[in-house]
Amino acid sequence: MTRALSRWTLWRVFGRSLFIQAGFNTESLQTLGLVYALEPALKELYPSPDEEQAALQRHLTTTFNTHPYVSAAIVGGILFHEQRLASGEEGPEKVAKFKSNLMGPLAALGDGFFWLSLRPAVGALSAGLVPLISTWAVLVYLVLYNVVHLTARGRLFTIGLIYGDGLVERLEATRVRSLGERLRALAAACAGGLGASLALSFGVQQHDVVGLELTFGCALAGAFAAFLAERRVSPYVMLYVIAAAALAASLVSP
Amino acid sequence: MGVVWWHAGLTALWGGLLALERRAFLQAMISRPLVAGAGTGFLLDDPLSGLSIGLVFELLHLGGASLGGAHADHETLPTVAAAAMASAMGNATGSDGTPAMWAMSILVFAPSGWVGRRLELRLDARAAKYVNRARDATNVQEFRRAARQNLRAMWPQFVFYGALSGFACVAGYLLAPLEQGIPLAVLRGLAWGYTGMSVVAAAIAVQATRAKGRSVIASASAVLVSGVAFFVWYRGTQ
Repeated sequence: MTRALSRWTLWRVFGRSLFIQAGFNTESLQTLGLVYALEPALKELYPSPDEEQAALQRHLTTTFNTHPYVSAAIVGGILFHEQRLASGEEGPEKVAKFKSNLMGPLAALGDGFFWLSLRPAVGALSAGLVPLISTWAVLVYLVLYNVVHLTARGRLFTIGLIYGDGLVERLEATRVRSLGERLRALAAACAGGLGASLALSFGVQQHDVVGLELTFGCALAGAFAAFLAERRVSPYVMLYVIAAAALAASLVSP
Repeated sequence: MGVVWWHAGLTALWGGLLALERRAFLQAMISRPLVAGAGTGFLLDDPLSGLSIGLVFELLHLGGASLGGAHADHETLPTVAAAAMASAMGNATGSDGTPAMWAMSILVFAPSGWVGRRLELRLDARAAKYVNRARDATNVQEFRRAARQNLRAMWPQFVFYGALSGFACVAGYLLAPLEQGIPLAVLRGLAWGYTGMSVVAAAIAVQATRAKGRSVIASASAVLVSGVAFFVWYRGTQ
């Protein structure tokens, strides 16, 4: 019969997996974080110090790196295999193979969805709400993002723990890729709308004859910056140039 | 007005904690510019300055992401530093920060995103020593000590980023008298520059989204917003 971990240990491992990047380094990447997360489980599964030592060394001597959120799925999957390993149902090569096979593809999935889709979408949407709801936009940001983030972390850990290698099929059933494209489009729409809103409100706030010129100036600068950004011009250079242009405009204006 | 040292200490603590949240623990986006900036302003009694600066850096770093072992420019350090500087300047002059102060702070600290990235790379290289310590501890069966090496790597992040944030707050108090001597036309130009930078940052954000047809989507959205604004204005004049 497969040796099962206690609920308390599972919670401890999940809690510790939130520190997966704490010891990130150029030599072994997230390996220290993985060992830190697994330690309570390995202690429970292997009462003999020699067995626990072998289990820790198994994870400490191989490089581990993936997206920090989806690492929850791999940590759950490692527990799935370690429980079977401790019960003598499978060999140590299974857990090593599981890790090495999944960390790359899951990293790509996590980077593509969380870093390059969800975060820009929520960031741009919240930034777009700043002119309307001021500091409440910060709350919108945190709630919207973390509802998805924390739910995903919890679900991924559970899927890994229950299904082991079967988590791949479970993840394939989700429509993360098409959702990501829609989120990126939302981000682009919010950023474009915000740019126009800022340029318009700027002109209105001036209360004088230069208001209209400033609005058009800002809109033109925005369009030109978008053109330059597509050509990989440094954002810092663009910031300094627009600041210099604004200073020059102020000095020559009545 | 002299430096309010507890403000500097608070900013250093906040900056250090955010650096950990960004990288080592949770990544719940508390360290993203919009949140970190507003939080810094809130701590220094000027949430509007923090929010306004956070808005620009949020857009500027919208698509920045550490992929694999490669790092993007640090977005938290420039945000906290600039928000702290602008808020401190406002406090020193007995008011809230102004758009001119926001622009100055952004211009001073925007390149610290690059500095933050270089520092991060250095600290990653330094953290490699904890792997050897963890292996040594495992060899002598001190498993708890081996696992805890993961947490030791957080200290340098906390100390360095916290110190830089605290320094920015002190700089705000020290530079405030200089700001008061700047001619009005230049201050007005800086205030205009703040809006100009916001709009340019929004344009940069459009490219950073990597969405298919992003230029068309953003342009359509801008036209829609302008149309709604014109409609609202027109109704108001009737």
